[in-house]
Amino acid sequence: MALLRLVSLLVFVLALEAQALTPSHYLVASDVDRLQAVLSQPFTDLKSAYFSVVGLSKLGVSVADSNDACSFIKANVDSSSIEALFYAAEASQAISSCEIHVSNETRDSLHAAVSEDSTVSQIHQAVSALSSLGLPLASQEVVSALKARISKEDNVVAITLALQTASRLSQQAELGEILEEIEDLAARLDDLGGVYLQFEEGLEATALFVSAAYALSDHVDMEPPLKEDQVIQLVNSIFSKKSWDSLSEAFSVASAAAALSNNRFHKPVVVSAVGPATVSHSHPLLQLHVTDVLCQPLSSANVLVESATSVASKAAILSQTPFTLRDGIFELNFMASKPASGYYQFSVAVTGDSRLVANHVELKVKVSTKVAINNMDLSVVDKDQSIGTKTTRVEYPNKGKASFIADSHQNFAMTFQLVDETTGVELTPHQTFVRLHNQKTGQEVVFVAEPDSKNLYKFELDTAERKTEFDSISGTYALYLMVGDATLENPVLWNVADVVLKFPDEEAPSTVQSKNLYVPKPEIQHLFREPEKRPPTVLSNTFTALVLSPFLLLLILWFKLGANISNFSFSPSSVLFHVGHAAMLGLMYVYWTHLNMFQTLKYLAIIGSLTFLAGNRMLAQKAVKRIAAEQSSRLAKYRSLR
Amino acid sequence: MSSSVISVISRFLEEYNSSTSTKLKVVDAYLLYILLTGALQFLYCLLVGTFPFNSFLSGFISCVGSFILAVCLRIQINPQNKAEFLSTSPERAFADFLFAHTVLHLVAINFVG
Repeated sequence: MALLRLVSLLVFVLALEAQALTPSHYLVASDVDRLQAVLSQPFTDLKSAYFSVVGLSKLGVSVADSNDACSFIKANVDSSSIEALFYAAEASQAISSCEIHVSNETRDSLHAAVSEDSTVSQIHQAVSALSSLGLPLASQEVVSALKARISKEDNVVAITLALQTASRLSQQAELGEILEEIEDLAARLDDLGGVYLQFEEGLEATALFVSAAYALSDHVDMEPPLKEDQVIQLVNSIFSKKSWDSLSEAFSVASAAAALSNNRFHKPVVVSAVGPATVSHSHPLLQLHVTDVLCQPLSSANVLVESATSVASKAAILSQTPFTLRDGIFELNFMASKPASGYYQFSVAVTGDSRLVANHVELKVKVSTKVAINNMDLSVVDKDQSIGTKTTRVEYPNKGKASFIADSHQNFAMTFQLVDETTGVELTPHQTFVRLHNQKTGQEVVFVAEPDSKNLYKFELDTAERKTEFDSISGTYALYLMVGDATLENPVLWNVADVVLKFPDEEAPSTVQSKNLYVPKPEIQHLFREPEKRPPTVLSNTFTALVLSPFLLLLILWFKLGANISNFSFSPSSVLFHVGHAAMLGLMYVYWTHLNMFQTLKYLAIIGSLTFLAGNRMLAQKAVKRIAAEQSSRLAKYRSLR
Repeated sequence: MSSSVISVISRFLEEYNSSTSTKLKVVDAYLLYILLTGALQFLYCLLVGTFPFNSFLSGFISCVGSFILAVCLRIQINPQNKAEFLSTSPERAFADFLFAHTVLHLVAINFVG
């Protein structure tokens, strides 16, 4: 009775995975357009004209109106300034049929600028202007001037300009020493997290260094001392910024892009999936952009899948399969190898040019599919006698006609299979739920359906056992099946049938309880700590007497010892002292019963100072008496000895 | 054995009676008084319970403090220790004793609650 619905749609989703170092930042076509737009701004002065015209020519575009540009340059050139001559000469060279004529004095001033007294920047401008104007140059002199200046101006920008200058000189000149500066500068690059490589001077310095290094290396035909990883890190740092603050920054990025896409040694490859990876069954193609850093497709390259393995099972599906090129996009019909749904790890190699860098790329590809539900059988089984009950088959997406009735002596059972619509292979999606929804109360209960060893899903509802989850509310429940997975194109929510569940009525109060949920709770009253039970009064009185009794003992003992009361003098100080002392003791009692600490301290200070003065006087008198007595007794002793 | 203990004790009392000055005996009586008061408070605590705990603590601490102060006084006024307390006259010692007592009782009363 099974009816297989066979509609199949498979989707690949691509995600770049950086195992080997591959460019993580690059210009996409819209970025290149924006870069071009930045460089196409109207000229404000000669310098901006230079950046625009030369920058655009680096991108392989000519300026919109070359006659206008040429006349703007000619009108603004100041033949007394080397800088102006440099801008004009470079810009005019980038425009076809725009020649600038210079007088002999101007030429002499340019030659004069090439000396050890000029800065590297001036030497660079003079040499570039001479070279662009097609005037003769003494290359060896320039080299010695540059060497002398580099030793004085040891910074990244100056050395980069020296490299740029050297690339304009004759190949016969001794450029070896200047060439070595490339390696020195490369050593000064800062590595950021193994992803970026840049000068602390900023993006512009880094981009101009790349452009100058490749210009000079191409000029002398020596591979620049940059490792493959370093080239990729430089690509990342130059192209990580997608909005350029100034014309000069855009110019530097354009120069670096031109250098990286067209030089004799290194050509970084950018591999990316086409679009948001929505490939349908009608064209089940894995499509890749394989371009250089300027988004130009590498049409001459061969793109090959070295291996494609399933992430889950680690089984290889494909190996050494070429992509075919169509309209600048590389395509592969991956469905031809009939992969099961899931994720696949692709290892893609781009070959065909020894200059290619980052030409081994790891890709993660998702194969998704559509799920079909087969053999949906519903039944109500009696618990006591397991008689073969009648099962009802329901077809997706119809709803079972009759509703099922299960009371507390019965189990409701459900079995089904999930298969791939196209291949019929059994699937076990991540999420398979059975939802029971009570339309009257809005209550819903969700269970997980689990497959057995044969991938047959079984769901059994023991009405008596599960009654707490339903709050024992009998009634009609709509039975839903929910199926979902990241690799499924068609998540399923299917109202399979209606089920009437009957629970025993005994636990009706639970519904009352839930009704009372939103009634205010009784007010919480503050409870003082209850005083502890006191001991009987007789006992405490006895102990009070007991505790006081030693005082009596003290009096008796003192009396027996014959305390010397006769020595008590009734001088005013003595009286005041004793009265004061008694007053202090009284104050302590009053403090306990009435006063607070501050009042007590105030009174204590008054009584205490009086008592102190009186006590001091009294004790001093006593001391005088005692010392006199001691002396007289000593004197008597002394006399008797004599 | 027991007779020797008794003889030792009787000898000790004899010596004490004969060689201790009346002044020190007065202080000793005071010490005994305080010791007994403290002991009785503690006994009450053991038998009945600690209910007014702060009262018990202040009473007991007051006893302990008084005892210590009295012992200090006794040490200072003992003629045998005169060499160690040359700068402290008996009168000075007594004044110190009184002052310390005032402070102690202020604290103890404060604690009774």
